[in-house]
Amino acid sequence: MKVSYNWLKWYVPDAPDPEKLSDLITYHLAEVETAEKFGDDTIFDIKILPNRAHDLLSHQGVARELASLLDINFVDSTPKYKIPDSKPTKLKVEINTDKCRRDAARIVRNVKVGPSPEWVVKHLESIGQRSINNIVDATNLVMFDCGQPNHVFDLDKVKGPKLDINTSLGNEKMLFLGGVEKELSKGMVIIYDGERNPIGTGVKGGTLAELDVNTKNIILQIDNFDPVSVRKMGQALNIFTDGRKRFENDLSPELIPYTMRELSALILEMCPEAIFEDVVDVYPKKQEERNLSFSIKKISKILGLEVSIKEIKDILERYNFEYEEKKGEFSITVPPMRLDLVIAEDMAEEIGRVLGYDKVKPIIPKINFKPKPNETYAKISWARNKLLSEGYSEIMTYTFSDKGEIEVEKSASDKKFLRTNLADGLKESLKLNKINAPLLGIEEIKIFEIGTVFTNKGEEMRVAYNEGSKIIEKNLNEY
Amino acid sequence: MNQENKKGSSVAAGTEHPLSILASEAHQAFSELGFEIATGPELESDWYNFYVLNFPKDHPALDMQDTFWIKGDKEKVLRTHTTTVTARAFEKAGKEGRLPAAFISVGKVFRNEATDITHEMQFFQIDGAMVGENISIADLKGVLTHFYKKMLGEDVEVEFRPSFFPFTEPSLEVFAKFKGKWLEMMGSGEIHPNVLRNVGLDPKKYQGFAFGGGLDRIAMIKWGIPDVRLFYQGDLRLNQF
Repeated sequence: MKVSYNWLKWYVPDAPDPEKLSDLITYHLAEVETAEKFGDDTIFDIKILPNRAHDLLSHQGVARELASLLDINFVDSTPKYKIPDSKPTKLKVEINTDKCRRDAARIVRNVKVGPSPEWVVKHLESIGQRSINNIVDATNLVMFDCGQPNHVFDLDKVKGPKLDINTSLGNEKMLFLGGVEKELSKGMVIIYDGERNPIGTGVKGGTLAELDVNTKNIILQIDNFDPVSVRKMGQALNIFTDGRKRFENDLSPELIPYTMRELSALILEMCPEAIFEDVVDVYPKKQEERNLSFSIKKISKILGLEVSIKEIKDILERYNFEYEEKKGEFSITVPPMRLDLVIAEDMAEEIGRVLGYDKVKPIIPKINFKPKPNETYAKISWARNKLLSEGYSEIMTYTFSDKGEIEVEKSASDKKFLRTNLADGLKESLKLNKINAPLLGIEEIKIFEIGTVFTNKGEEMRVAYNEGSKIIEKNLNEY
Repeated sequence: MNQENKKGSSVAAGTEHPLSILASEAHQAFSELGFEIATGPELESDWYNFYVLNFPKDHPALDMQDTFWIKGDKEKVLRTHTTTVTARAFEKAGKEGRLPAAFISVGKVFRNEATDITHEMQFFQIDGAMVGENISIADLKGVLTHFYKKMLGEDVEVEFRPSFFPFTEPSLEVFAKFKGKWLEMMGSGEIHPNVLRNVGLDPKKYQGFAFGGGLDRIAMIKWGIPDVRLFYQGDLRLNQF
């Protein structure tokens, strides 16, 4: 994920210089694949690990992590975002599927669609995004800032006005942003309006309620979807978006109120005349608070490093975890965004990476293992050594072939079958090596391959070698 | 190639494929530490390739492996890693009451991706694990440092950085500094308790580490072989090491 250094600095003004920061991220969090200058900014490409994609696919997420890791100040932007005085609303929101865990929406009237302020354009461009218009840019900026995908609809194109989060019954088409029409299948989670027109999804928005230059009134809408349903829908429709990526990695529904606040504040900054209505927040089942227990003994045993109670307490405090400790037994309340922390081993990783794995001193275990010889390996070694001693040289060829009995579903290559013999590959190799024989300084090409072939009966280890231009191929056990 | 011998009374020995040389060296390096050699099928069930290893169904982590699924059999894949062999070996060792134990395997694995100089649809993976009552990250660091020093020379530096794999927790990426450059070598970590449970071991009693990475990559680094695809052309000009 592309992360702007200057953007991070909003939240962690005391962050070290980009070079130092890049190293700290690599050794304590995730690999920084590139760090490139962009004007007065540095853009990191951080390979966010899948278990932290819940909370780190955003600038605030990364900044929060860095503040805790480096024990530096995190500037909370919430108080900065003044909530506009809002008016009562007639907007209706219904969630009619358990695949949507929360939906918050609000009407904003009297907006003006136009170009974005320069700072917004700059921020988006720094991470490789294109500015579209002020309102759409606000939604994108918010997603890259706090990690929560969000939508804006043209209120005057939404029947009701009502948002009905429901599942498709199938036999239905939807025109997506960018103009691609796709067939919706049964069970896909769709945002419908009051007359069951599909206007949005978790993977991409639709064109029915898309903003245009004449848009005056809008609906801000933010949901939390079940990650598996979004993933399946994205795969089925072959749609990849930054929104899908975040949803399918599972987000906390607790992120929504902040997102609504930030999005509203940005819209207000861009359209000072805007009139805000109340937020309709439907949240049928609150995310459960989770506790996690672990002992200092267990952590030390996993890491192979004596960790002290003080060190653990220091980390928990830096990361704002509520905890209790009794004689080295810790019980913590897992913050809602840290969906990755479930078992004691997860805490061993958390503590290990924060301390740094360089603190763990390597040792060679002194255990009296009783290894047994491996029969297959022994046979392969015997066959290989015998052939080598007889002057045969070893080759390896491709398992994939253009004919065979077992076929793979999809392949990046045109060879979709698994080889049924080694002989075909050996023949090709023989031809190639004959041409090169003078270069190799040999008169007679003698080659062999030991490898697996695949037939309807299953897989089988074979040995093949040549006698002149004739190929001899045998089962390993019969060689 | 020994030219003098080729017409001599005794036959000149043939040449070995570079990956075989490395596989033997790797087996040797781990055998010295008490590892047992394991082998297993290339055509695997999705259970051993994914689910035994704690890959959740319909999870983005499955995208980390571009898998060849077999037509007509929804549960069969070409193994994407030889961690399958390690899992089978520990399942068996557990049943036979042979713990603590350590297994090492080198085998062909498959990824469905476009090929280029560093990507190939088939390559060799070296994979292993050690399980006992107190096998920690300190042991993991010791064993893998020993291995890379054996493979790349005593002066090689080895480093461990945070990573993620569904089957290990904590997870670490192993880097080696070879000729002045840090290179990503393999994935590793402490075996996830779900994996231990899935192979019939009690995570309250046992813990251990696992690792896996490309053998082709080590060969390319060690001998300066520029293109991974050269390994599978059947070209004897490759057998010069």
